Amino acid sequence: MSNAVELVIEGGRRSSLVQGVRELWISREVIWAFAERNVRLKYKQAALGVAWVVLQPLAFLTIFTIIFGRMVHLSAGHTSYPAFALSALVPWLFLQTAVAFGAQSLIQEGALVRKIYFAREAPVLGTVLGSGLDFAIGLALLFILGPMLGTRLSWAVVFILPLMAVLSMLATGVAMMLAALYVYYRDFRYALPLLLQIWMFASPVVYPLSHVPSHLRDVYIVANPAAGILDGFSRTLAEGRPPDLGLLAVSASVSLLIAWGGYRLFKYMEPGFADVI
Amino acid sequence: MTWAVRFEDVTKQYIGEMRHWHLRHDLVRIGRKILSQLQGQVREPEKRTALDHVSFEVQEGEAFALVGPNGAGKSTALKLLTRISHPTRGRIRLRGRIGALIEVGSGIHPELTGRENIWLYGRILGMSRREIARRFDVIVDFAELPHVLDIPVKMYSTGMQLRLGFSIASHLDPDIFVVDEVLAVGDASFQVKCKERMLELLKSGKTLLFVSHDLTAVETICSRGLYLLDGKVQMIGDVNDVVRTYLGWVDARYQERMRREIVPSSSSALTIENISFHDEAGIEQAAFRTGETVEIRLEVTASLPIERPIFSLGISDGRPGTLILCPMPVDAQAPEVLLGPRTVSCRINRLPLLPRVYQAWCSVRSGRTEQDVFDWQVVGAFQVAEGPAGNGRAPASHIHTDAPIHTEYEWQW
Repeated sequence: MSNAVELVIEGGRRSSLVQGVRELWISREVIWAFAERNVRLKYKQAALGVAWVVLQPLAFLTIFTIIFGRMVHLSAGHTSYPAFALSALVPWLFLQTAVAFGAQSLIQEGALVRKIYFAREAPVLGTVLGSGLDFAIGLALLFILGPMLGTRLSWAVVFILPLMAVLSMLATGVAMMLAALYVYYRDFRYALPLLLQIWMFASPVVYPLSHVPSHLRDVYIVANPAAGILDGFSRTLAEGRPPDLGLLAVSASVSLLIAWGGYRLFKYMEPGFADVI
Repeated sequence: MTWAVRFEDVTKQYIGEMRHWHLRHDLVRIGRKILSQLQGQVREPEKRTALDHVSFEVQEGEAFALVGPNGAGKSTALKLLTRISHPTRGRIRLRGRIGALIEVGSGIHPELTGRENIWLYGRILGMSRREIARRFDVIVDFAELPHVLDIPVKMYSTGMQLRLGFSIASHLDPDIFVVDEVLAVGDASFQVKCKERMLELLKSGKTLLFVSHDLTAVETICSRGLYLLDGKVQMIGDVNDVVRTYLGWVDARYQERMRREIVPSSSSALTIENISFHDEAGIEQAAFRTGETVEIRLEVTASLPIERPIFSLGISDGRPGTLILCPMPVDAQAPEVLLGPRTVSCRINRLPLLPRVYQAWCSVRSGRTEQDVFDWQVVGAFQVAEGPAGNGRAPASHIHTDAPIHTEYEWQW
């Protein structure tokens, strides 16, 4: 046992980015276990189980189509409104689920946090990962239902991989930030649904990006990194065109910044988690 | 021998009291802080120190105990060690994988089946899939649950859930394992099982850190220990000495409390103003040693005349029943009538009592009317402290909690 690795826990704040990432790599099984646990629980506890994942976007789609498509006569330019709405809703719902459940995940696992050690990022990352399954199901729905609504598929569909990578990064960053704050400030229970609602209406989910006045568009895109990503999704999935790469680059940069900031904040607050949770 | 765990000058502070944080309060606080800093005042936030510059070392393969009263910092130390909580200052060094049997079962989810829980909780605890696959059957057998493996844990009895949690946690196969009060949960057979598993792990060369209020278990399982009080190290050494010192403190504090609560006590006819305990030379003492002489002095005031007063003094160890009873002989030179203040004393030669705190009881009767004027009640307390061991080394917890009477004895084969 003398050859066992020595672990040194230094008092005070810790730890470097490299150390943090290395520890996450060591904890990959734990992250995966949390993801699996979340998914199993989600489908066990809810009576309709998997059906919810399909029902949720369909319900939103119906409402949006009736209100914005028929009553307000919002047009989606190159494609039908329902096709646009569904292609933006599926990634948005992933973002929303990942952030909402990711933010609560640490509190939810409070008993575990108080009593055993694991990388504290694991429940948050596991939740985001678990939401990925919802996204995959939503995507399948879109591929099945899309042609009936007027989506055009093309080779551009390969862009959903980089788009998904950027979206996941953004979701993780925001979820980490909120999860850390949530441990200390329970006010977020009430603030979070409101924030997410505002975020949705500030994103091109119910209306396409082309409806944002052009003099505001630069601010809009920098301030809301979800905008460029969601626009990219609706272009690739509904219109069969590749995303605006300039736009995507801006969104990716801002998302990276948010992910980094969220991680730093999480790490800064982490030493106190077990004491206040 | 090399060490497996090292605490180097470790301090842990909690900020303020435990509370939920409110954004509004914090914004106000931050505002105030900035204001007061602008005015040149610096105010340190209130901090509670749970561990205060604690250093110790646990050797590989050793069973090490942490003892002390509630709130002394034992559990905090274990939490730092298991990385649940983070030290404020200092350094903790560990060699080998660490596993905890702290309040098992928190990771078991009621909606999932036993099988799912083993797979998921096992991995959250840090086992790899391969390790779980290899130990799956052993875990199930140890928990005695093969027949209910595929039904949700919420259908299990509390005992079954407990066994499952303990079984998963105890098969983590750590090099260093930490046990905090698990022996307090579960039924008797489960506790025996826990203890057996601990001894089994110890025998296979693992290092153990043990926290329990069951000092008998501490002394039988551990070889060395640490006595913590208010976050500070009081003593590190042989487990018997550590437990002995700790129990001495417990006794002294108990006695102090008794002393404050009891005196004076009174009836309608008589008040005991003060009770004091003196040694052979007549000097007042709070603690004595087995075999010494104790003189118990009572300062009384009779508010009504008591004809031919007969005092009785008794000694108990807090449990029902009197160990020693010293009624005043009828021919003692008691005054014919007791009225006003007076001092009376009783001397016990060669006190045959083992270390712990004892209560002094008293009653007073009138020899003429044959009636109690002061009912039998506790009037004071004194301590018999640890002395040179008369009968060789017996575990300190036995001396302090088992039969209280001391006699000379000898074993022969």
